[in-house]
Formats: sequence, structure tokens, C-alpha cells
Amino acid sequence: MTAGATPPVLEATDVGYGYPGPTPTQALEGLSLEIQDSEFVALLGPVGCGKTTLLRIFAGFLRPSKGSVRCAGASIDGPGWQRGYVLQEESIFPWMTVRQNVEFGLLAKGLGPDEQRKISDELIELIGLTAFAEAFPKELSTGMSKMVEVVRVLATDPSILLLDEPFGALDAQTRQRMQDALARLWAQRRKTVLFVTHDAEEALYLADRVVVLSPRPGRVKASFTVGLPRPRSFESRFSAEFLGLKRRVWEATGLDGM
Amino acid sequence: MSWVRARRAAIGLLGFAALYLLASEIGQSRLPDRIWMGAHYVENVKLLPTWRALVEEGTFLIQSNILVDSIAVSTRRVVLGLLLGSVVGILLGLLTGAASRLEALADPWVTFFRFTPALALLPLYVIWFGYGESSKVLLIATNVAVVTFLGAHQGVRGVRRVYLDAAAALGADRWLTFRKVILPAAFPSILASFRVATGLAWVTIVVAELINAQMPSLGYLLALAGAYPRVPNMMIGLATIGALVLVFDLLALLLNAWATRWMERAA
Repeated sequence: MTAGATPPVLEATDVGYGYPGPTPTQALEGLSLEIQDSEFVALLGPVGCGKTTLLRIFAGFLRPSKGSVRCAGASIDGPGWQRGYVLQEESIFPWMTVRQNVEFGLLAKGLGPDEQRKISDELIELIGLTAFAEAFPKELSTGMSKMVEVVRVLATDPSILLLDEPFGALDAQTRQRMQDALARLWAQRRKTVLFVTHDAEEALYLADRVVVLSPRPGRVKASFTVGLPRPRSFESRFSAEFLGLKRRVWEATGLDGM
Repeated sequence: MSWVRARRAAIGLLGFAALYLLASEIGQSRLPDRIWMGAHYVENVKLLPTWRALVEEGTFLIQSNILVDSIAVSTRRVVLGLLLGSVVGILLGLLTGAASRLEALADPWVTFFRFTPALALLPLYVIWFGYGESSKVLLIATNVAVVTFLGAHQGVRGVRRVYLDAAAALGADRWLTFRKVILPAAFPSILASFRVATGLAWVTIVVAELINAQMPSLGYLLALAGAYPRVPNMMIGLATIGALVLVFDLLALLLNAWATRWMERAA
């Protein structure tokens, strides 16, 4: 890739991160990664390889102990809505209605009630939860809650989305529906996305590029460009190209049993 | 709260009352009516007063306005002490919960007051604040403040990290995070401690009124009944206090249910 005039949207250079404590753990070591504008990158790797750590570093919750992370050329030194971050754990606010959840970031931005309402109406409709707009999250399924978390982040219109295994806890069917919903959202709004997953198929279905991390300490082990045409469909999952890529990704992650 | 629960609670109460009535009828002829009190005999005691004796005593206490006045005075003290104590306790708890540096500062004092019996403070409070209302209200307020302080403090401390992270990622500043995330997340803990505090407030006031007994008050009513001694009077006094505690607890429970209606409830 040639270095353009504009710096990459997200850039990690020789990043290392270690967790102190009774069992000191080196989560990342010498990791370098560049993500370009409007690119959808899936980060794939075994459990404990530092995927979440890298995402939290990009989100601004952790500072790398070595190396540097930049967002559009500027050093990242704390969380900010410009890098919309969906946590791996369920983080929907249970004491707020669906609408209040979606509007929280807008409230933080200082938007007026009418503007908040307009945006939340649109986003809640987008995920098909209009009937649940005034409901508390206890009435939602896990998948619905996760979608609310995703649009809660989308509401503030960040240019970057950092998604940490958002569909990890879902059953296969719901998972596919959520993936399609996310792909549609991405096609409509053209964000830069960094998507953490441990599911190769999900990564290939969604991303322009799949980056495979090595086991701990994590570093970039392999990177695959996914040239499958968009919009991708159920059929794409069974195309020769898809399956060929899947094989190569599985080999890279060590899932081939070698 | 469901009707099933309410019905079961009612059955529990009435069932016990029925057992008491049965026991008192059986005991009427069998229990001694002459008791050695350490220095003298007391004649004609009714160890387990029958319902007739209770109705008679209750009618007298109500018609003479003693009971109503006592309820009014004691309830007023409890309400004032609860309001004052919980406002102070909750504010301090929120503050120390949110600012970790204050926590260490407040910690020994919390432990100190938490395990200091109300009675131990009473003589000091009487000297400081006089025999009137202030010492009693402040005694309740002290106890209530300690309990609600702990509830608020632990509530703030117990807010799950993911909610704070999510709020920060969405661009919320400290004040917005406090109002919309920390406070509602801490609310169940605060209200649970408030419920404990309402019960404790009644314990405190009755004991304080027993020691520093003045007319009219429920504590005095009991102290007087003990001095005669008049068992039916004691029973009425105890039942009144118990009923008031139940009413206050129910109110706290309803408040709790309303404020935590967003929570997942186990059936």
C-alpha cells in the first residue's frame, strides 16, 4: 500500500502492552497495523491474543506501554465519541429506555431534544425496534440489546467504529441477521470499521480485509484482502472464492490442526 | 409486589394472631397471676392478656388520646430523623463513592458510628442538644445517616465498569456520567439501605424514648406499662410499634419497587 498524503485513519506502530499483576501478561508485542478511511477490517485471532486489548487501546481506554497509536495522524490520549466503541460485554444502560440509550451520546454532545428525537427515531426504526422504543432493556433479547448498543454509538455519527465481538453471544441465525444489518449500515454510512471476532466466516463475510493475530503476545500474523463483491448475500458464503479464503484464514489461525 | 405475596404476608400475620388468641384463652386459667418481681409480688398480672383485655385496654388508650398522641409524636421524630439522616448520609456516600481520596478519610468514622449503639450516644446528645426533640431526632438521623451513607457509597463503588466505559466512549463528561449513569446504577443500593434505615429509625426512637421517657411517646407508653406493670398496655404498645414499622417498611418497599422498575426481577 502506498503512503498517501492523508495519514491512515487508525495506525498502530510497534505497539506493546503488558498487564501487570500477580500473573504479568504480555498481551501485545511489536504490533503494527494501518486502517484506511472507510475500510472494514476484521481482527481475528485465538482467545487471549490481545484483540480486545488492541481495540481498547484504539478506543483510548488503555495506553500502549510501547509504540504509539494514532487516529488520523493525531495521538490517541483518551476515549472520545469520534471513535465509536461497542464493548464486548453487554453495556446497554438497563435503567434507560431504548430511546434514552440511543440518545445518550447526543445528550453528551449537547443536542436539543428535537434533534435527539429525530436521530433516535431513525436509528431505532433502522434496527426494527420502533415498538420497543420506550421499553426498558429487560424486555429485549441479547441480540436486540446489542443492536441498540451499536446504534447508540452510531447516533453520535462517529467516523470510526470499534466493535468488540458484538455478535459473539448470539445464536447462528440471529447472528446472520445482525451481520446483514451491520453490512447494510456500513454500506449506507461508510464508516471505518475495526471489528474484533474469533469467527473466520463472520470476518470474511463482513470485511474488506481480515487481519489475523498470533497467539499471545499478539502481533499481526497474516492479512487477507477480501475481494468478494458487495452487497454480500447468503450465497456469497458458499462461493469458491469465499471458501478458498476461509481455508487460508483457518490455516493462518492454526485451525487446520497443524 | 404481587398479590400472592401480600396474601401470604396477611396469612402469616393473621395466623400468628390466631395462635396468640388460642394460647391466651388456654393460659387464662392456667398461668400464674402473681409474679415475684425481685423485691415484691405483683398481683393480678395477665401474662397473656386475652383479646377482651386487649380490646378494653386499647379502647381506653384510644379514647384518652394517649395512643394517638404517642403515635403522632414518635412518627414525627422518626420522619424528621429519616429525612435529615438520609439526606446527609446519601450525599456524603455519593461524594466519597465518587471521589476515592475521600473514601479513606471517611472510612474509620463510618466504622466508628456503624458499631456504636444508639444508646451509647444518647447521654451525650441529651447534654449537647437538650431533653427536647433535637436530641432524639439527631440520634435517629445519626443512625440513618450511617446506614444510608454505606448504601450510597457502596452503590457508587459497585457501578459496573462497562457502564462507565460506555459512557466515556459516548463522550459523556463527569457530571453527565454522574447524573445519568452512576446515580441510577447506585439507586437500588441506596434504596435498599434506606429500607434498612426506616426499620432502624424505629428501633432507635423507641429505645431513646424508653430511656429518656417523656409524655406522650410510644417509648414512654411502654416505659409506663413496665412500671405499673400492665401487660395489656405493653402488648398494645408493641403491636402499635410493630404495625408502624410494617407500614414504613411497606412504603420503603414500594418506593424501592418503583425506582428499580427497570431491573430484571426474579419471579
